[in-house]
Amino acid sequence: MFRRKRSTEDFAEEIKAHLDLEADELRGEGLNEEEAHRNARVAFGSVPATQERFHRRSRLLWFENLMRDLIFTVRQIVKNPAFAAVVILTLALGIGASTSIFSVADAVLLRPLPYPNPQQLVRVWEQLPNGHRPNLAESNFEDFFTQNNTFASLAAYDYGVASVSGGSEPARVNVAAVSSGFFPTLGVQPLRGRLFAADELRPKGTPAIIVSYGYWQRYLGGTADLSKFHLDLEAGSYPVVGVMPPSFDFPSDVAAWIPRELDPPTPSRSAHNWRVVGRVRDGVTVVQARANLSAIARRIRRQYGTQVDLSDAAVVPLADAIVGDVRTALLTLLGAVGLLLLVACANVAGLLVAHTAAHRKELAIRTALGAGRGRLIQQFLAESFVLTFAAGILGVLIAAAGVRILPAILPANLPRQEGIAINFAVLLFALAATAAVAIALGLFAAWRTGSSDLQHALGTGARSHTGSIASERLRSLLVIGEMATTLVILVGAGLLGRSFLRLVSRSPGFRQENLITMEFSLPLPLGQEGMDQSATARQIRLLDGIVARLRTIPGAASVGLAGALPVAAGDNLADGLFLIINGQKPPANFDEFGRIGQNRSQTGLAEYAVASEEYFRTLGVPLIRGRMFGEQDDMNSPHVAMISESLARNRWPNQDPIGQVIEFGNMDGNLKPLTIIGIVGDVRARGLDLPPSPIIYVDYRQRGMNANSTPTIVMRSTASAGEIASVARGIFHELAPDVPVKFSTFAEDMGGWLADRRFLLLLVGLFACIALILAGVGLYGVVAFFVAQRTQEIGVRLAIGAQRSDVLRLVMGEGARLAAIGVAVGICASLAITRLMSSLFFGISATDPLTFAGVALLLSLIALAASYIPARRAMRIDPINALRYE
Amino acid sequence: MTTPRNADDRIALLQGTLDLLILKTLVLGPCHGQGVARSIQRQSEEVFFVDHGSLYLALQRLEDKKWISARWGVSENNRKARFYSLTAKGREQLVEKTSEWERLTRAMGLILGGSTQPSGEEA
Repeated sequence: MFRRKRSTEDFAEEIKAHLDLEADELRGEGLNEEEAHRNARVAFGSVPATQERFHRRSRLLWFENLMRDLIFTVRQIVKNPAFAAVVILTLALGIGASTSIFSVADAVLLRPLPYPNPQQLVRVWEQLPNGHRPNLAESNFEDFFTQNNTFASLAAYDYGVASVSGGSEPARVNVAAVSSGFFPTLGVQPLRGRLFAADELRPKGTPAIIVSYGYWQRYLGGTADLSKFHLDLEAGSYPVVGVMPPSFDFPSDVAAWIPRELDPPTPSRSAHNWRVVGRVRDGVTVVQARANLSAIARRIRRQYGTQVDLSDAAVVPLADAIVGDVRTALLTLLGAVGLLLLVACANVAGLLVAHTAAHRKELAIRTALGAGRGRLIQQFLAESFVLTFAAGILGVLIAAAGVRILPAILPANLPRQEGIAINFAVLLFALAATAAVAIALGLFAAWRTGSSDLQHALGTGARSHTGSIASERLRSLLVIGEMATTLVILVGAGLLGRSFLRLVSRSPGFRQENLITMEFSLPLPLGQEGMDQSATARQIRLLDGIVARLRTIPGAASVGLAGALPVAAGDNLADGLFLIINGQKPPANFDEFGRIGQNRSQTGLAEYAVASEEYFRTLGVPLIRGRMFGEQDDMNSPHVAMISESLARNRWPNQDPIGQVIEFGNMDGNLKPLTIIGIVGDVRARGLDLPPSPIIYVDYRQRGMNANSTPTIVMRSTASAGEIASVARGIFHELAPDVPVKFSTFAEDMGGWLADRRFLLLLVGLFACIALILAGVGLYGVVAFFVAQRTQEIGVRLAIGAQRSDVLRLVMGEGARLAAIGVAVGICASLAITRLMSSLFFGISATDPLTFAGVALLLSLIALAASYIPARRAMRIDPINALRYE
Repeated sequence: MTTPRNADDRIALLQGTLDLLILKTLVLGPCHGQGVARSIQRQSEEVFFVDHGSLYLALQRLEDKKWISARWGVSENNRKARFYSLTAKGREQLVEKTSEWERLTRAMGLILGGSTQPSGEEA
């Protein structure tokens, strides 16, 4: 019934039979043997073409052609490995870099949060009329919690660094205090043990602590039986009741969670202490939830007036809140790496044009032998696919290596970075990028074949090098595009670089060199109401002892103590409202404090900083007026304060602040008023990118260190930090064995603070360098091609009396022309693009003329260098030789 | 039927014509490809030159359409050859194509004859 398909061999045999029969007949007509066979063949036409056409009728032709093209391509690659290597390496670099960066973007921006129905999770803030979004005051949270009808659950939490001991060694880790709905809101279950029980979630309930997987592994040895562990945290002892799974990391980098109900409640409606996370009900949108909370916020405002700061509520999807301002940086990186890939593609496209031009004769011969245009196009597609996919595989390998290196350079504050990996989504991206490049290059090559006059190449291409004018123009266009794209990346890198330089060259207000820092924590009584007198006195004695012993270390020039390291750890500073109470009775309690605070003429805003007298000398913060803390200032004498210059200028513009009495007890729970005794120089305490902060310094000998402080020793020493640290470690161990200490230098701490900017600069700079090299090579290729094509012309010119310098001018002029157009186009594109990044710049505009000029100059110099090499070759052309090849 | 297209009329004409010529040749009895080629050449008084490669492809096409059938045999001068013969379907096609062809040539003749005459009168 079904007919077997006729084989190619059978058909070939029939042709052979035909040729024999025809030859027989021709012989019969009187031709000799040889002529007969020849004429038979001529009459038949092309045997291979006929066979191919037969073939084409019966087979999955495209497949066979594809296989043949692939084999042919591989053969070509083997024949010309340098060309293939350059193409594959260039593309692999582009694909590898894009894939690495995509893996970061995937983990940080794209992947859904690791909680059930993550789209229902939101963060909630108070919305102030001035645009600020502070955390929630406790009573406001309670109102949101009880009055809303759009949330399935709403939870408050806060976290901070605390000393936790009771594990294998004491550790300074982040501990979060969370309200009852916290874990249910996120929808997570513990890996071991249980969540908090009802008894642990009521005010003054049974203490309990849940630890992170990392803490459990590192400090509790991953022991299954949790019952034997009690962790000492500040003043309390907490039995470990649960371990969270390794994937759970909220808030980021927290090692343990305790119920916040253990804290005494704060009735204030303007103490913005609580972060809030919520889960909206099924079928409720974020917009609806926000409208609901807004209504409640407005009601609170109406009811409490100036006792509250909020006028509205802000509700943001949790995923967006976590990513925050990292988004712009990551999108910039993605953009830069995308442009790099574009440059790589343009470079390879240029190479392909040159390659095709060099093989014009071969192509023409194949056309003459009966290869249709369709077949040639197919062949180009196959070629670009083979090369691109080889590059894709190499690119994925590069990305895999990149993903291993990335954690070393990623800024520590990049959220969700632990999820960075080469996973399915990343591989899919690599595949898509590779396929896109392959198709683009293939279509490009095909279009070239379609448009070029290959059929005439046999005639015109007889001479050695000539390619068509069209292919030369095309390569020029590609190089111009490459130059322009490279300029965009360079401008981005330049602007980031200049921002970075501006930032690091900005003085923080003190000398940064040779500063060793030691951050530690002291056991503090829990709660915000401060410490009792004797506890404070004990703490001061301990601090005095530590400082005195550290001062004896050889090489320690001076040793200061502060409640927070400015700039590098500026986020550890707390700011708040202070009262000016000159002559009035100071508030006896916080209700009174709040009442006086209503009168805006009697308040000011400042950072609260604990310091020792030697702290100012150690850092080199100058005393402007008045006096420093002194021996006479102790716990029982009147408490004193020093203020920063900008606070003095802004809060007391026409008055002498010295002698003014203020009340800042809301920061440390001690309502003893402070008398201002001195004014010191400004410090950019919150960061180099911000104006100097208004600061009120209090003396640790009078106020001690409370929960709003992160005790830090600063030591100026020219000795090696390692040596000092090892001696200091011994001193701490002796005097305060349970106190964990982090030794560092100020430069290192600043390195951490600058890490995200440095990371962005480093990567964009790297991409800019690669793009610059590629563009240089691309331009070199075009100019070299230009010279090769004009060898005879240049020979003739030289023969009829042109100077070598004319030749140099001719060739360099060609390079300069392309570079100039590329730079002009690039500048226009950059002007549009860098605006989008302006939030990443510091101290310069997105259109900084110096950066633009510098980058344009750099690119032009590279372009001139790239065209000088072939230009020199052109100058050395021997007219005799050049003309001989005519 | 195939209507001659502007750009490729030569090929289109050839294809249709060649099929018809093959069928017509095979009506006389089974024949191998070389014989068909010779026969067409001879009968057309050498006006047609048949590209042999195309002929074999045409034979294959007709075989695929089951208008002709083929089997290997031995030629008159003792060479191995593939012999083609007309199927019943092929005979039907021959009749049909022949009448089509005649209509076509008649129509062409009318048009060509009719278009030269008036211009001649005018001249």
